[in-house]
Amino acid sequence: MGNKKGQLSHRLRAFCSKPSNLLLVLFFVVLFCLSVLPLLTMLSNMFTVHIGTEKRLLGLDVGAFTWNHFQRLFSVSEWSKVNFWVPLKNSLIMASGAGILGIIIGGVVAWFVTRSNMKYKKFISSVFLFPYMMPAWTLALFWVNLFQNSKVGGGNVGMVESIFGICMPEWFVFGLFPMIIVIALHYSPFAYLLIGGILKNMDATLEESATILKASRWKIIRRITLPMVMPAVLSTFLLIFSSGFSSYTVPVFLGSSVKMFTLSTKMRALINAGYEGQGYIIAFVSIALGCFILGLNQWFTGKRKSYTTVTGKSGQVSLVNLKKANTPISIFLCVYVLFFAIMPLVSFALESVIRQPGNYSLSNMTLHFWMGTEYSAYETGMIAGILRNPTMWQALGRQVLLALVVGLIVGTCGILIGYSCARTRGSKLSHIVESMAFFPYLMPAMAFGTIYLAVATTEQFKFLFGTFALLILVAAVKFLPFASRSGINSMLQVSPEIEEAAMVVGVPWWKRMVKILFPIQKSSILSGYLLPVISVMREVALFTLLVPKPRYLLTTMLFSFNETGYSQYGSAVTLLIVLIVILINTLTNKLTGASLDKGIGG
Amino acid sequence: MKKRTLALLLACSLCLSLAACGKKDPDPTGNVENSPEQSQDQPTTPAEPATVQEKLAAAASMSNEELYAKAQEEINAGAQLDFYSTTSFAEKAAANFMADYPALDGKVIYAEIDDGETYSKLSSIIGSGVKNSADMGLTQNGADLKTYLLDEGKAYSYFPDSMKSVVPEQYQSPAVVTFINSLFIYNNKTGSINFNNVWQLTEAEWKDKVFFKDPTNETVNINFLIQLTSPEWTERMEKAYEAQYGKAWEAGEYESASYEWIDKFLKNVNYTYTSASKMATGIASGAGGNLGLFVFSKLRKVDEADRGNLTVRQFEEPIEGFAGFMYSIYATVFSDTDCPYTCALFINYLLDEAGFAGPKSWNSSQGYYSPNTSIEKPNDIEDEAYSYWAECLVVEDQEFIYDNYAKVYEFISVRVGG
Repeated sequence: MGNKKGQLSHRLRAFCSKPSNLLLVLFFVVLFCLSVLPLLTMLSNMFTVHIGTEKRLLGLDVGAFTWNHFQRLFSVSEWSKVNFWVPLKNSLIMASGAGILGIIIGGVVAWFVTRSNMKYKKFISSVFLFPYMMPAWTLALFWVNLFQNSKVGGGNVGMVESIFGICMPEWFVFGLFPMIIVIALHYSPFAYLLIGGILKNMDATLEESATILKASRWKIIRRITLPMVMPAVLSTFLLIFSSGFSSYTVPVFLGSSVKMFTLSTKMRALINAGYEGQGYIIAFVSIALGCFILGLNQWFTGKRKSYTTVTGKSGQVSLVNLKKANTPISIFLCVYVLFFAIMPLVSFALESVIRQPGNYSLSNMTLHFWMGTEYSAYETGMIAGILRNPTMWQALGRQVLLALVVGLIVGTCGILIGYSCARTRGSKLSHIVESMAFFPYLMPAMAFGTIYLAVATTEQFKFLFGTFALLILVAAVKFLPFASRSGINSMLQVSPEIEEAAMVVGVPWWKRMVKILFPIQKSSILSGYLLPVISVMREVALFTLLVPKPRYLLTTMLFSFNETGYSQYGSAVTLLIVLIVILINTLTNKLTGASLDKGIGG
Repeated sequence: MKKRTLALLLACSLCLSLAACGKKDPDPTGNVENSPEQSQDQPTTPAEPATVQEKLAAAASMSNEELYAKAQEEINAGAQLDFYSTTSFAEKAAANFMADYPALDGKVIYAEIDDGETYSKLSSIIGSGVKNSADMGLTQNGADLKTYLLDEGKAYSYFPDSMKSVVPEQYQSPAVVTFINSLFIYNNKTGSINFNNVWQLTEAEWKDKVFFKDPTNETVNINFLIQLTSPEWTERMEKAYEAQYGKAWEAGEYESASYEWIDKFLKNVNYTYTSASKMATGIASGAGGNLGLFVFSKLRKVDEADRGNLTVRQFEEPIEGFAGFMYSIYATVFSDTDCPYTCALFINYLLDEAGFAGPKSWNSSQGYYSPNTSIEKPNDIEDEAYSYWAECLVVEDQEFIYDNYAKVYEFISVRVGG
C-alpha cells in the first residue's frame, strides 16, 4: 500500500516536473470552462423549448425537453428541404470551394515568395494580406459595386459597366460563384501566412539532397515540399472551411438576391423567427462538420512520426530560378494584388466622398462625410464628418485597445498551448486540449455571442454584462484557435533536441522559451499575435449582441451605418479600419523588426 | 517548485470559480411573480406603491409635474433610464425630453437595437439584475413583444389616463407611440408604371422587378403577410382579384386569395436589397420602372439629386387591394426597472405633441404618424394623415399575428427558400 502511494507520488512529481504538463492541465481547465461549457449550453438548446414561438407552438414550459426540433428539421418535408438540405448543399459547396481556392491562391503565392527568385516580393507579400484585413462582407460589397450592372439586381450600374460597358451575367455577380471567390480571396492570406511560414523555415537540406539525387522539381515538390506543408495545408483548409461554412454576411450580400441560402443564413432566420432549437441544430451541424475535418487533420498529422522542419542544422534556402517566366509571373501577381487588395481601398475611398451613388464626377464629390461640420445626418446621431465626431474616436479607441489586449492574451496562450501540445504529443490530454482550443472556431460567431450573452446575464456573471471585459473574454476565446494552430504548427517544427541541449546545461524553462524557441519561430509566433489583432479589428457578428450600443466599437458602428443606408460613412470607416491594421502591421515591423509578411520572406 | 505550486493553485481556483458558468439564474424566465421585488410576501404599504406594476398604475393618473418630481427622486437615488429602440428618431426625442426636463439631463440613455435580435436580447437582459441595462423599450413587432415579454411578465404596458381621450383604445395596451408605413414606391425615370391592382404583381411581367426585403429576415414584413391572411383582408383581396380579372376568386390549390397572392408575389420578388435604406437609394439610382415595397420614411436617406426619381404610387393613383402596410412602435416598461416613474414621464412625452412633434422628431419626417389624434402632420410635408393610410394600408393587428404566426410563417418560409 505504502509502495503504491509512493509510486503515485513519484509519478505525480514526475508529471509536475515538466512545465508542458502543468500548462496542459491549466489550459484543460480554462478551456473546459470557456469553450466546452458554451458548447454544452448550445447542445442543450437543441433539445429544449425556448421562450416565445416554440413555447406557444408546443404548449410546453420553457426549458422542457423535446425532440420536436429534430423531427421538424429532418422529417421528409418541404420545410426540411428548404431550411436544411438545400442550404447544407450550398454551404458545403461554398466552404469547400473557398477552402480549396484559398489554399491554391495563398499556397502558390507563398511558394513564389519564399522559394523562388520572383521580382517585387516585398510589394506582393505586403499587399497580399490586405483582403484579410478587411471584413469579408466589405469585399462582397466591393464585388457588387464592381460588377453590378443594368441587367441584374436593381439595375444599378457598377464600375465595370461604367468604365468598360461590360455587363457580367447574373451568376457572376450574385450566387455561389462570387461567394466562393470572395471568401477564398478573404482567407487566402491566411493560407499564405501558414504555408509560407513553414516553407520559409523548412530544412533546405532535404530538397538539396533530392536535387543531388537528380529528382525532378515536380517530384521534389510532390514528395518533399507538399508532405512537409501538409499540416499547414490541412489546418488552413479547416480554418477556411469552418469560416466559410459559418459565414453569414457574404451569403446575405451575394446570395439572398438570387435566393441562394446557406445554413448560416437559415440559422439566423430560424433563430430570429423563434425557431431557436432548429437554429442551434444547424449551428451544431457546422460544428460537427468542422470536427470531422479537425479529426481528419489530427489523423493525418498523427500518422507521421515527425513534422520537424527546424532542426538547428538547416542551411540557406535555395531559391528556384524562374528564368523567363519570372517577369510575367511577377507582373501577373502584381496586377492580382493591385486588383483585389488596392482596388477595394480605392473603391471605399471613392464611395466615401460621393453624395449620389454611382455618380463619380468631381462635382458630386465632397469631404463632408470625413470632416464636414455643416452636414447633419441626425438620424444616426452623427452631427459631423467622422473625423470630427467624438463617438467615432471613442469607438476606434475601444476597438484598437480590444484588438491589442486580445492579441496579447491570445498570442501568449497560443504559444503556451502550442508548446505544451507539441511536447506532450501523443498523450490523450494533449489531443483533448488541442481540440478544445479549436472548438470556439467551429462555433458560428452569432451562436457564440448569444451563448455568452446568456452567461453574462446570469446572477453569477452579471458583473460582466455590457463591459469591455466581456468583449475581451469572448474575443480571446473565439480567436484562440488562430494562435493555438499557429503555436502548435510552429512548435511541432522545432526539434525537442534543441531544447534538450539547453536543459542539459540547466537553462530554466522560461529562458528556453524566450531565448531559444521564440527567436527560432519568431515569424510563426508573431502570426499568432497578429492574427487575433486583425480578426478583432474587423469582427462584427461576435460583438453585435454584446456591445452596450451599436456605436460602441468601430465595426459595430460600421455595420450600423451599412444597415441604415449611410454607405459613405460605412466606406469611410472600412477604409479607416484597413489603414489602422496596416499601421499596426507597420508599427510591429518598426518596433520588433518583424511583421507578418517580412517573417515569411518579403 | 514555487512556480509549479502556483500554477496548480491557479488551475484549481479557476476550475472552482468558472465551474459556476453552468449555473443558471434561479429564475430564468425573469417572471416578476418570482422576483424578490414582486414577492407577495414582501411587506408593502398601501399608500406607497412598491412594485413596478403598482408604480405604473399610480403613474397613469399623475400629472406630468408630479411624475417629474417622482422621476427626480429616482434619478437622485442613482437610477438612469436606459431604453432600447428600433427607431433612431427616438434618440432625438430623448434629447428633446431632457431639454424639457433639465433635472434628467444625461440620465436618459438611448440604445439602438436591431429588429431581428430585439426580443432574444431583451429577454436575456430583463430580469438579469444587471444595473443600468434596460428600463423600457420602443420596439416593433407586437406579436413577439407579447410572446417574449408581455406574456412572460418581463414587460408591462403603461398608458396615461390623460391621453385616453385622444388615443383610440386599441392603441393603449401596449401603448403605440408611432406608426410607420411601407409603401409601393417606384423609379419614375422611364415614366409612370402600369400598376393599380396588387394582383398585377403576381404576373410574369413583374418578375424580378418588384423589390421587398426577405420576410423571413424582417419581422414587420412577415407580419404584414400574416395580417394579409386575416378574414378582413382575404375579403379585400378577393374583391381586388375580381376587379383585376373580372371574375370571382375560386378556391383551388390555395386556402384563400391572400395565400395565393403571397405565393405568386414572393415568386416575383427580387431580394437584392438587404435593408430598407439600401432599397430606397438603390431603386432611386437603379433602373426605371422598378418598384419597391419599403419604409416610406427612408426616402430621407436618398440623396436629394436622386429623390425626384422616386414616386409613391398611391399619390398618383389609388391601388386596388392595398397601398402598402403599416406597423406600430410600442412603448413598454420592463419589469425590473428602477425608474418606472421616469419611464412613465417619457412615454407621456412621446405621446404628446412636445415629444412626437418636437424639433427634428418623428413628425418632421414622412412616414411617421402619432396615434394621438390631436397631432397633425405638418402641411409642408408630402404625406397624408394616419386616418388616410389606415384605410388603404394593411395595418398590423397584434392579436391576429400572435394567433396565426407559425402557420403563415411556415407557408412563407418554404416559398422564400424554395
